[in-house]
Amino acid sequence: MEEIIQEDPLDEQLREAMPYIDDGGFTLRVLRHLPSPRRPRQSLRAVILLGTTLLASVLGYVLSENGRFVRVIIERLATMPMLGVFALALISGMLLTALGLLAAMAESHES
Amino acid sequence: MELTDANLIARVIVEDDQHAFGELVRRHQSSVRGLLRQLTRTDIALADDLAQEAFLRAYKNIRSFRGEAKFSTWLYRIAYNCFREDARRRKELVGIDDAQWESESDPQAADPALRHDLMYALSLLPLHERTAILLCCQNGLSHEEAARVLDIPLGTVKTNVLRGREKLKRALAAWGSS
Repeated sequence: MEEIIQEDPLDEQLREAMPYIDDGGFTLRVLRHLPSPRRPRQSLRAVILLGTTLLASVLGYVLSENGRFVRVIIERLATMPMLGVFALALISGMLLTALGLLAAMAESHES
Repeated sequence: MELTDANLIARVIVEDDQHAFGELVRRHQSSVRGLLRQLTRTDIALADDLAQEAFLRAYKNIRSFRGEAKFSTWLYRIAYNCFREDARRRKELVGIDDAQWESESDPQAADPALRHDLMYALSLLPLHERTAILLCCQNGLSHEEAARVLDIPLGTVKTNVLRGREKLKRALAAWGSS
């Protein structure tokens, strides 16, 4: 348990004898000498994202009988009604815009 | 709402937020610089250089701060270590021994106008008693906290505070009657 030091008139005098020291640029001087802040390694992040995307694409291609699913999707899109294609494009566009906005907001928060 | 020291420390650790660290410096600069000014016997330039070094070390090692003690106590410990290291370097340069150095009087405080001053009386105390008095009586640390800052046994801190207080009172009483 922390011991409580008995208040002594001398302690009060000592505290009064030590006035508050005005900052006077001291904090700024300390901040100027701090090492540069750590920056996230953007290049490493990009390499990881690109690598993962490429790996997933190759795996998807190989596991789907050499890209059979691509042909199937193209066939489906070709036979899809115009309204369906329009809705798909709209949803994809909105999704990409939302992702872009989120990324921009995260970037402005960091800087 | 004003952020607590703990909030600011978390920001420094997680986000490397130097503005948060600046706020910590602003909050504690007066007490750290004040302590070092007393330890260096009012050598303001040296005290401020040591305070700056102490804050830079605190920033570099802030991840080692576990929150078991108050942040100010942790800062005092770093500041005291900076002072000790600097004093050791100076002693090696000048070539005096520990006993001489600790009992050395302050040449800058020899001004007769300051003779009856409490701070002058404080500056005449040996370093170990002066430091204990500064931490416990002036900065309000408990004996346990002061023992942690100085890295010495609790009993030694208590003895140093007691002896320092007695000497200060005797000095002030003697000057008061003369």
